[in-house]
Amino acid sequence: MAGIWIIAETREQAFELLGAGRSLAPGMGAALTAVVAAGSASPEECIARGADEVLLLAELSPGEPYGAHLPVLEQEARAASPGVILFSAAARGKELAARLAARLGAGLCSACTALSFDKGSGSVLMERIAYGGAAIQKLTSSAAPVVVTVPPRSFAPAEAADGRQGRTRELPAPPPSAVKIVDRKPREKAAKDIAEARVIVCAGRGFDKKEDLALARELADALGGELGATRPLTEELHWLPEDLCIGLSGVQVKPELYVGLGVSGQVQHMTGVRGARVVCAVNKDENAPIFALSDFGIVGNLYEVVPKIIEAMRK
Amino acid sequence: MPVVIACFKWVVDEAYIRRGAGGALDFSSVDYKIGEYDRNAIEEAVRLRDAGGGGSVIGVTVGAPESAKGVKDALSRGMDRAIFVSDASFRDLEPSQTAAILAEVIRTHIPQYDLVACGEGSSDLYAQQVGPRLAELLGIPCVCFVQKLSLEGGRLRAERRVEDGVEVVEAPLPALVTVLPDINTPRIPGVKDTLMAGKKPVTTVKREELTGTFGGVLKTAAMTASSLERTGEKLAADAAGIARFVDSLRKSGVIR
Ligand SMILES: Cc1cc2nc3c(=O)[nH]c(=O)nc-3n(C[C@H](O)[C@H](O)[C@H](O)COP(=O)(O)OP(=O)(O)OC[C@H]3O[C@@H](n4cnc5c(N)ncnc54)[C@H](O)[C@@H]3O)c2cc1C
Repeated sequence: MAGIWIIAETREQAFELLGAGRSLAPGMGAALTAVVAAGSASPEECIARGADEVLLLAELSPGEPYGAHLPVLEQEARAASPGVILFSAAARGKELAARLAARLGAGLCSACTALSFDKGSGSVLMERIAYGGAAIQKLTSSAAPVVVTVPPRSFAPAEAADGRQGRTRELPAPPPSAVKIVDRKPREKAAKDIAEARVIVCAGRGFDKKEDLALARELADALGGELGATRPLTEELHWLPEDLCIGLSGVQVKPELYVGLGVSGQVQHMTGVRGARVVCAVNKDENAPIFALSDFGIVGNLYEVVPKIIEAMRK
Repeated sequence: MPVVIACFKWVVDEAYIRRGAGGALDFSSVDYKIGEYDRNAIEEAVRLRDAGGGGSVIGVTVGAPESAKGVKDALSRGMDRAIFVSDASFRDLEPSQTAAILAEVIRTHIPQYDLVACGEGSSDLYAQQVGPRLAELLGIPCVCFVQKLSLEGGRLRAERRVEDGVEVVEAPLPALVTVLPDINTPRIPGVKDTLMAGKKPVTTVKREELTGTFGGVLKTAAMTASSLERTGEKLAADAAGIARFVDSLRKSGVIR
């Protein structure tokens, strides 16, 4: 049976994809191959976590983008004909996965949240979110290869075990890419990882200006929680770092409590909150969709209501 | 004077999708729209044309015949003309099929172009595949997730956003980009724009005029409504409401 490939840019991605790959391998009776970027996971680490084979991507010169690996990946994939190719759904991985799928004439399940192999039909079963979060799409593939991208943190990382054996091979350097990186700007990272937060106060467009977010922060502090945001605040207004964006194109959260302040409750945002135990909201529009998607909420101006909530909590 | 192709999709407005009997999707009261981020792609194409002192913007869409409404909507957003690839079988295409159809139409109908602009993902499937797949099928450089873009001397310069920051990249034209929502603010067409859109040329391409087979690779086994609904208790912003809110927080066991 054709093998399972994972293609990873970072160490975390490699471990998580190996975890996803290992869940498929026994059913498919397939060997697991880890294709990893130089300087990410070491071959020993990958082998300890279940890789039967490690293919090391060549180190790129500073001006070459990650996508430069495409021709080498295409060539190797044609030679080895894997049945499944897994990528992490991070920006570079998503682009590379789609380009590789196009070159191989393969199907691609983007942002796959559940993955299994059905022995009876010999097909790969996949699930993903569609219509912004309003629907779950179930896909099957019986043609090889099928390319799959998985959102970060959707699968448990593979555990290391002693005494595992595997081969390692270095891949050739790719030809120069037409796209060149001429500059890099590192970005401001959120201090805390909200995917793991127990309480999240989420700020939405209902805030008039950046300085006013202090109010959301104050409530978060009072609740012992973290600040999160809707996409307009992180990607359009740039008031907060992007890794605080909750939802379809951001982080999936699972706190004990989520409080949405000035958040309308569009499905693309709320789908990221589906794992929260308690959801509540403050919104001045009584018809805002968030109310139906909350356990309880106050219809009112957040600028008046939030200070009162903080005060009442102190009592 | 750049020739820019803007790809767009006419999609169901997901805000009106309801959960029907047995968890089926209920589309009975839906409206349609141009994909959110495709509007950014159109706006960017128009902006680049104007910044380049001329040239043209050609919109291309693949869809079922009723997407004709979307073509007119797109034309009201500043494009010069549109190519509408229309067939009843083009309703629920996989990204691989859409990309293949777009590639053939661009190859056969637009002999010379500088840039193809797509949204970072469609509003309905959000698979984020059509752009990069199309670049491969056209054999042109691809830069996804662009937040800033300029064209100069036969090259593009783009800021692309990735997890660890921004990569400033350059690539020779023609090339393809997918754009992020903050790259620009899409215009809201006025009455005059809508009137003018009706006079702009639209080329309709039929399935029979294409040579590709455009078979799908994956199979959608089911598409079911996911339920995000909760009890939805609404409280007033008065003292009683605040007290009940804080009380509910306490009862939930999250705060002491
Ligand atoms: C493909 C796609 C992917 C997307 N992914 C995401 C995602 O991952 N995450 C995300 O968040 N969004 C995402 N979006 C965007 C999403 O559709 C919404 O546009 C966004 O979530 C809305 O953010 P908001 O609620 O902050 O703003 P708005 O929708 O503008 O809502 C602001 C709310 O604040 C209320 N308000 C205003 N003033 C006050 C006040 N003084 N007091 C109380 N309430 C007030 C208003 O009544 C309103 O309900 C995506 C969209 C698309 C098309």
